Amino acid sequence: MITKLAWKNIWFKPLSTILSVILLTSSVAIITTLILVEKQFEEKFASNIEDVDLVLGAQGSPLQLILSSVYQVDAPTGNINYDSAKVWMEHPFVEKAIPLAFGDNYRGYKILGTTHDYLTKYKAKLAEGKLFEKNFEVVVGSEIAQKLSLKVDDKFFGSHGDAAEGEVHDQYAYKIVGIANPTGKVVDNLILCTIPSVWQMHHHHDENPAHGEEGHIHEEGEVHQEEVDMTLDEPNMEITAVLLKIRNQMAKLTWQRVIPQNTKMQAVSPAFEINRLFGLFGIGVTALQYLAYGIMLISGISIFIALFNTLKERKSEFALLRVNGAGRFQLLKVVMIESLLLCVVGFIFGTILGRIALSLLSNSSEEDFKMSFNPYEFLWQKEGTLFLVTIFVGFIAALIPAIKAYNLNISKTLANA
Amino acid sequence: MISTKNIRFSYSKEQEFIFPDLYCEAGNTLLITGDSGKGKTTYLHILAGFFKPSKGEVEIDKTNIVSLTEQATDKFRGKHIGVVFQKSHFIAALTVLENLEMASWLATGKKHTKRAKKLLEQLGIENQASKLPSQLSIGQQQRVSIARALLNEPKVLLADEPTSSLDDKNAEKVIELLTSLSIEYKASLIIVTHDSRITKKFINKITLV
Repeated sequence: MITKLAWKNIWFKPLSTILSVILLTSSVAIITTLILVEKQFEEKFASNIEDVDLVLGAQGSPLQLILSSVYQVDAPTGNINYDSAKVWMEHPFVEKAIPLAFGDNYRGYKILGTTHDYLTKYKAKLAEGKLFEKNFEVVVGSEIAQKLSLKVDDKFFGSHGDAAEGEVHDQYAYKIVGIANPTGKVVDNLILCTIPSVWQMHHHHDENPAHGEEGHIHEEGEVHQEEVDMTLDEPNMEITAVLLKIRNQMAKLTWQRVIPQNTKMQAVSPAFEINRLFGLFGIGVTALQYLAYGIMLISGISIFIALFNTLKERKSEFALLRVNGAGRFQLLKVVMIESLLLCVVGFIFGTILGRIALSLLSNSSEEDFKMSFNPYEFLWQKEGTLFLVTIFVGFIAALIPAIKAYNLNISKTLANA
Repeated sequence: MISTKNIRFSYSKEQEFIFPDLYCEAGNTLLITGDSGKGKTTYLHILAGFFKPSKGEVEIDKTNIVSLTEQATDKFRGKHIGVVFQKSHFIAALTVLENLEMASWLATGKKHTKRAKKLLEQLGIENQASKLPSQLSIGQQQRVSIARALLNEPKVLLADEPTSSLDDKNAEKVIELLTSLSIEYKASLIIVTHDSRITKKFINKITLV
């Protein structure tokens, strides 16, 4: 009954109630979105660098190398000579080396030349079909298969580079031999094939430098019939990067210095670069968080002002409740519950709005970076804390008005009314 | 039944009210009159237990409410004392019927919707039950106050200048309702007033000087 009264009271003044709820909703929504994005972002980044101690690639920006070769979100720094990379890949300190060669894309999804180890590293099992063995056989990530509704035995042509609008390589068709299980990692959004496939696809251009990049048409089977499939043993070929798992702790550090000094390559620690990246992000995230808590503070003040103002008009109402047998504590409860109800409503709306925002964000980041967020995840601990903070704001805002209601002098109020 | 003994009260050292003892049986009516500033409202507020006198006893149905704790007084008042004010006060966010239900819930923990509807009917305002109090005329509002005061079947019905803001016709109606209903519900009715339209009608009165 007290709660019902509180509920009726807050909707009796809909404008100030709506203002308070909107303010609370927006601050809760911002914080919820931040919490979820930060957590899922870090999780995604961290899970992808598991078992990668160093990345070997062409010299340039270390962060760019990591972003391109581990997360597949940036352009590569350049190519490296496979023969000189092999020197390091076969070094006894190396436990595992996974070479990567960027080739083409299919409708914006990267086609990556690599070895079977790449799938093993991401713990990606095959949902259907088999692993790629011959050139131009590909295994497709789960998300691509689902989005483009690809099946085993389908064939497609790749486009050059990483833009979907690139020149179509129509001399060789890729054939899907397997579809990977979902892993929640980058591999879901990749098409994997052997490294020689990438070489062979582009080999043709090297021999015919006169070819225009655009609009050349091959008549199927005209030139290539005699060509022999390339293998990994082909000399003097280029790859893009190598993911290294290092046995020796010292080598992890020394190689980062030794390799760029002695070769045209660099070795970069992904963990270090990602921490640096988060450090940069962190400033923005913290600023947004302050903003959100600022809005929450304002909503607290707005609740306080609303309660305080109506208290004056409602003095006689409160006196009346006392006349009808309500205790002081019940009056305190009415004011408190009103404020807390506002906060609960604001929190619920905010949590929902935050998730709507996240799914919108997820859609656009999916398009741009092939990275999606899960809006249905609940982080009980952090969101629970946020709930408590919200409730606390409501409590503080109602404190003075509630005490005033508690201390109300019935006789004076009624005599002056 | 309500009676008082040796009630004294002072707001400050210079001025002390000494209130005459009063006694009123269930179903009877007692008028308290007197000029402004003589403590009429103060006396009524003491009778209602809004605050305690510095001395004396207020006995309602064998309970001395002066000796009760504040919390117990609130409960006792809710159950056994009905109050009608000069100006009607309502919870603005609740409808007429909900206002009545709230009053009975606070006192007894039950809503007594049936009894509330019956009272509204007796007072001729049953068709206003689902309106907000602010939508009613002053005369109707005063009748709702009477319904609320009687809802918990109190032992004592206190009325503080119940007619001063009403026109002749409404004033007469309100007084008639108060007296007839207090007889029906067996409540002692105490009316504080300086309204000459009422004072003529009652023999049983105390004048504060």
